[in-house]
Amino acid sequence: MVFSSPLFLFCYLPVVLILYYISPLKLRNFVLLVVNLIFYGWGEPLYIVLMVFTITLDYFAGLVVEHYKRKGNDLGARWAVAVALVLNLAILFFFKYWDLVASTLQHVGINMPALGLSLPIGISFYTFQTMTYPVDVYRGDAGVQKNLVSFSTFVTLFPQLIAGPIIKYKELADQMDQRDHTVERFASGVSVFVVGLAKKVLLANNLGQLWEVYLDTPVAQLTTAGAWLGVVAFSLQLYFDFSGYSDMAVGLGRMLGFEFLRNFDYPYISRSVTEFWRRWHISLGSWFREYVYIPLGGNRVSKGRLCFNLMVVWGLTGLWHGASWNFLIWGLYFGILLIAEKLFLKKWIDRWPRLLQHLYTLFLVVVSWAIFAVEDFTQLGGYLRAMFGMAQGGLVDSNAVYYLTSFLPILVIAAVAATPLAVKVWRGGEVRSFRVLRVALPVLLLVGLIFSTAYLVDASYNPFLYFRF
Amino acid sequence: MFSKRYSIFITVLFCAFLGVFALAQVILPDRTFSENENRNLQQMPTLELGTPELPGRPGTGNFFSGKFMSDFETYLTDQFPLRDGWITLKAATELALGKRENNGVYFGSEDTLFAKFTISNPTLAQENLTHVNTLADNLDVPVYFSLIPGKEVVWADRLPANAPNDDGMAFIQQAQESTSSAIWFDTASPLLSHSDEYVFYRTDHHWTSLGAYYGYAALMEAMGMEPVPLEEYDRTTVSDSFLGTTYSSSGAGWITPDSMDTYVPDEGISVITYPEGAPVEGSLYDYSKLEVKDKYSMFLGGNTPLAVISTQQTDAPKVLVIRDSYSDSLAPFLTAHFSEIHLFDTRYNRMPISSYVEANGIDMVVVLFSTSNFVAEQSIFQIAMGA
Repeated sequence: MVFSSPLFLFCYLPVVLILYYISPLKLRNFVLLVVNLIFYGWGEPLYIVLMVFTITLDYFAGLVVEHYKRKGNDLGARWAVAVALVLNLAILFFFKYWDLVASTLQHVGINMPALGLSLPIGISFYTFQTMTYPVDVYRGDAGVQKNLVSFSTFVTLFPQLIAGPIIKYKELADQMDQRDHTVERFASGVSVFVVGLAKKVLLANNLGQLWEVYLDTPVAQLTTAGAWLGVVAFSLQLYFDFSGYSDMAVGLGRMLGFEFLRNFDYPYISRSVTEFWRRWHISLGSWFREYVYIPLGGNRVSKGRLCFNLMVVWGLTGLWHGASWNFLIWGLYFGILLIAEKLFLKKWIDRWPRLLQHLYTLFLVVVSWAIFAVEDFTQLGGYLRAMFGMAQGGLVDSNAVYYLTSFLPILVIAAVAATPLAVKVWRGGEVRSFRVLRVALPVLLLVGLIFSTAYLVDASYNPFLYFRF
Repeated sequence: MFSKRYSIFITVLFCAFLGVFALAQVILPDRTFSENENRNLQQMPTLELGTPELPGRPGTGNFFSGKFMSDFETYLTDQFPLRDGWITLKAATELALGKRENNGVYFGSEDTLFAKFTISNPTLAQENLTHVNTLADNLDVPVYFSLIPGKEVVWADRLPANAPNDDGMAFIQQAQESTSSAIWFDTASPLLSHSDEYVFYRTDHHWTSLGAYYGYAALMEAMGMEPVPLEEYDRTTVSDSFLGTTYSSSGAGWITPDSMDTYVPDEGISVITYPEGAPVEGSLYDYSKLEVKDKYSMFLGGNTPLAVISTQQTDAPKVLVIRDSYSDSLAPFLTAHFSEIHLFDTRYNRMPISSYVEANGIDMVVVLFSTSNFVAEQSIFQIAMGA
């Protein structure tokens, strides 16, 4: 189930909110668990079995680690952590990466059969969330959770189950057992949720149409202007899609009394690639820093080792995004850029004029999205060549003019919305005319809800063109 | 951040919005059919738990396959309260945001809607051209061939600037050049020279009766016959509320409807159609169709594998038209010149053409398609099959 659907908005969510708030406090985690499983099982009911397995595995791993620790058996505790990690990663590998490895090995003549299994929804997110729980128990960062319902509710928590943010158990441990359900928190959740919904439905989906035009354009017809238009549209689409989903998660969390950390902080206003990754998908960056980069030695190592560590982290970050080699290249691309910035480039960039710093960052990030979005290497090569002036369709054609003029208002709105400008005006205005904003907020929320509903209903609009003849 | 009272207000506002539509969904009666989309709407599915699919054993029921869930989602969106209103709101928003299209339909000037023209399968389009020549080679009677240009060619000046379409005129020229055994007749030039007239429906892809008249005149000229001058007909407006398929796709609920005219009276003309194989008495105009959404099917009552029109000119020749629905509105004009007009639809009719021509004493064959149907039609190969 996705948030941006009539099913979620007008069926699931109302029922969940009613059930949740009529239940006594003690039962609320259990109610949440039940609705979480319905949410998860909606698309692939069978994979609930997998989810139950993962939960059981990490729940008992936590207990075992705690048991050994109490007995002073450090080795036993380490073994328990290792076994849990291996099993978690094995599941992730089996469902997500098996076919990639199989098809790659088939290229070199080794016959490993592809399985064609459908990817369990959100497996990359929830595996990362739960596999670190035994680690945190071992490190003493998190207390052991003895209540199976509380632990299961954490793993399956529907607001962040399928698209993040990646929340570590230790961040939510206290809230699992005690959280405040205030109307103030609920109302702020509503406004964050509606902003996220509008980002996803009104901006991301719309920009996606423009990107699809250029993704489907054969390389022979691509123009330089078109290729840039397409990838800029994708850059904005991805941001609004992903951050919109994170906003909806934060908003829904608040409606249920939870407080999640923010996942995006206006990444496109960054002035270096390093800064970009501090603002983009923050929960993923912090996960890799904490569980891969620092355990590898972090930056308190020799320069050579530092480069190695960074390349490992970014190669894995790339592959986390999808089981396809272009994601690895995309990750390594950022690995190289971040190493360069760390070693020398950043000092130099810092002396540039601000505008140049922005352009430098945006240029490298937008180019990276082309690598990210085009999975087929031949097509990717053609697309990148088109971007850099070697387009087979020439510099610009009438299609590019049409799509640019047609999408210009959306692109401008999206570009402005990707900066904190609106929030600055809003906050600045709070002082000047509090009353206007008190009226403006509910109006904007209603407008956001109404237009999002119109776009969602339209997405299912499907006239049967009977007399195509 | 918010005061308590204000928070209550925001919370109630949000819950009321969700609640109103959630309740309306439950309370309002379900619709079975959407006129606008011309399809049956999804009804509430029934859950059959069944068993999951396991290696070597197919699953049963609609739960483990996920079909129940996807049907339920379709059910919710299909039955969403005020569905058509939301769709119009979305189309209007797109237009307000500077888009010149919605759901694959261009918003042209003068309330004209255009379906995008694309040749998605160039190989098929080329093969179809070859099939026409093969047909002409196989037959002893003359074969006349034309492709009707699309609205985006004839009314190109009404399209949004730079609107991407494949070049329909280029394909028509290619068709003309590749026509060797058949006799090409040109429907594009007369339509283009009358492009300031009402030759296409603004809300539908079909040509109007007036457009069909110009096509008819071009055919007569190619056959060496004299077309009836336009002035000799009495034009009758039979409907002024036609909203066609392009309109349905566009979601543009504010567009003014088209009017529909007929020129040729249907007295003294008998029509036999074969909707299911057996002959059924038909008519040149089925006025009952003016009451439904699909008003264009007024012409000959809509799609049928075969229709035979008999006139009182019993000495006149017999013509076979291999065609799409554009010929439904062209056929009335032919009644002045032929004793029998056979309308043959390759999508539903698998009879070999050569034996049909022989069995029915056909004197000439016309192959007439709109360009957009011709480049995409999968059944045309049948006309090239021998008896």
